[in-house]
Amino acid sequence: MAFLEQLSISDLTVALFFLGLYGAMSQRNIIKTIMSIGIMDIAAITFIMLSNYQPGARPPIAGVPGAQMADPVPQALMITAIVIGVSVIAMCLAMFMRVAYRYGTADWNILIRRLDK
Amino acid sequence: MPFNVSLHLLVLIPVTVGAFGYFLPQKLYKCMLFATNVAMVMTAISLFITVRWGEDVVQLLAGWPHGIAIKLVADQYSTPMVLLTAVFFFGTFIFSTRAGYMDRVFLFLFMMLQSTIFGLFLSGDVFNIYVLLELGMLTVGILIMYKRDKQSVYDGMLYLMMNFIGMAFMLLGIGYLYRITGVLDIVALHERLGMLKDPQSAVVPYAMIITAVSLKAALLPLFGWLPRAHGAPSAPAIVSAVLSGIQVKVGVYLLVRLHWMFEPILDAAPFFAVLGFLTSVVGFLLAVAQKDIKLILAYHTISQVGLIVMGLNLGTEIAFWGGMYHIINHALFKGLLFLSAGIIIEEYGTRYYSEIRGVFRRMPIVGIAALAGVLGITGAPFFNGSISKYFIQRGIEGNLGELGLYLINFGTILSFVKYSTILFGRPSVETPPERDPFAAGVALIFGLACLAGGIFGGPAVALFYGPEYAVSGAFGLEKIVTFLLTLALGVVVYVGVVKRIGDFLADVRQFKFTFNQVTVFLTAFFVILLTYGYLTV
Repeated sequence: MAFLEQLSISDLTVALFFLGLYGAMSQRNIIKTIMSIGIMDIAAITFIMLSNYQPGARPPIAGVPGAQMADPVPQALMITAIVIGVSVIAMCLAMFMRVAYRYGTADWNILIRRLDK
Repeated sequence: MPFNVSLHLLVLIPVTVGAFGYFLPQKLYKCMLFATNVAMVMTAISLFITVRWGEDVVQLLAGWPHGIAIKLVADQYSTPMVLLTAVFFFGTFIFSTRAGYMDRVFLFLFMMLQSTIFGLFLSGDVFNIYVLLELGMLTVGILIMYKRDKQSVYDGMLYLMMNFIGMAFMLLGIGYLYRITGVLDIVALHERLGMLKDPQSAVVPYAMIITAVSLKAALLPLFGWLPRAHGAPSAPAIVSAVLSGIQVKVGVYLLVRLHWMFEPILDAAPFFAVLGFLTSVVGFLLAVAQKDIKLILAYHTISQVGLIVMGLNLGTEIAFWGGMYHIINHALFKGLLFLSAGIIIEEYGTRYYSEIRGVFRRMPIVGIAALAGVLGITGAPFFNGSISKYFIQRGIEGNLGELGLYLINFGTILSFVKYSTILFGRPSVETPPERDPFAAGVALIFGLACLAGGIFGGPAVALFYGPEYAVSGAFGLEKIVTFLLTLALGVVVYVGVVKRIGDFLADVRQFKFTFNQVTVFLTAFFVILLTYGYLTV
């Protein structure tokens, strides 16, 4: 089990990313695919948050000496990425609602067949 | 002469004016946007002059040093694109002065798209590019379902979800890059990637980022979203024109930029040259199968993007500049074709090519403009397409690939023989209703630009990019004869083959990939790129 002990949290986030990708490839339910791509996005965000991680570092707020400060770049960038992710997911769900009202299905394959009618 | 306008204004002004003017009366709002567009064109011209005959303009935000600051770069590659974007948006804005869909929400989104595209061309920072791509994706997602047609919500949702998966790939790739190099600036990344002890560690981020950008550029297995978005029945003509003319070029431009960034690690030019060729062939095959004139144009965009990517990656300088010039040319004629298609669809009330006849007689000006676009895209002598295609051909001369170029050009001609049938013949009704002079005028100006870009092809390339090449070969008798022979072959094949396999084409047309299959393609592309990376590094 030495292999498992060497895994870090970042490796787990990469695994989570591909788990989300698997969901997007395999799930026929639209809501589940939207959830899957949400998982992919969150996994990527967590991955970046963990880069340059130093144990014991303090949050990058004014007043903390530079040497003790955690790397502020990933945190600043990921706030943007989180906001974008939330808005895209919200828009996907809003569009799904319209699709569901109009075609009465939550299945990609059935939806495609009903499009032409 | 130093350029003392902040480049950030170029990115911020359209969206800011769009947001604040939103609360004003509509007439005033339109006047403000008109003024903004004029200002953008002037700024882009002066920026172009500064960079072309002076030096690059590089501006760092908030006084941070190079490598850390968010950076905007105007250089040899980005300024022609900025100029093209400014002129194109100005033209489409004039085109739709009287259009019914120009309400406030639409205008705001349109200005936001303009800002995003300026930002993408000028950004010198991968994270900035990521944010702007996401912003552009959301804006486009709304714009393509603007007229709320039957299928539009589905098209918008598919577009948004596919691109979001691509962007998640890009985000993870950026994370990897930041982890191994500690910077996000493209120039700094270029330097630090060259100093990596273990170049293989950069292959994973390479594959992730380039997969996302290839999705934006609609390369072979990843183009499923493009025709749905560009040819969406619900998208107004100017949206289709902007998407096909400018927005898809962002992907191509980023491919060039990011490949330069990864140059110290690996050179994937041969891979992308082949991929571009395949994309081009598949693109025209699908275009020939379509019945909807907007979809013919949309599928054909894929083919032309493939040609551009092929030219850019052939490895010779002349083919590279040919590809760059083809970006401008394609924006002109595809923009023109989409705009004129918009007028034609409105006039005839149908989108099916078999129901539209006699555009020349019913709308002579639009007909002439559309014909100029068709001649441009097929590479007819004296039109702009012939110059860039000639350059790309010169770059591959004597190679097996040259035959490939003939094949692509034949495919282009074949699809546009089909498209051109709408121009000829006798219209069913002879009612000359009131015409919109702005729309026809802009279409005609774009058509003239296509002709001018061909006759002054050599000087135009020298003006926009710098390198001077002889173009006399493009006007030679040999070229004209080749074009006419290909045209004749195209007509023969169209009448003899394409018209007789209608059932087969209908099957091709109706075949759709589901979302899951498209995601599988995306993953497969990523895996192939990853394998290619590991094998070559």
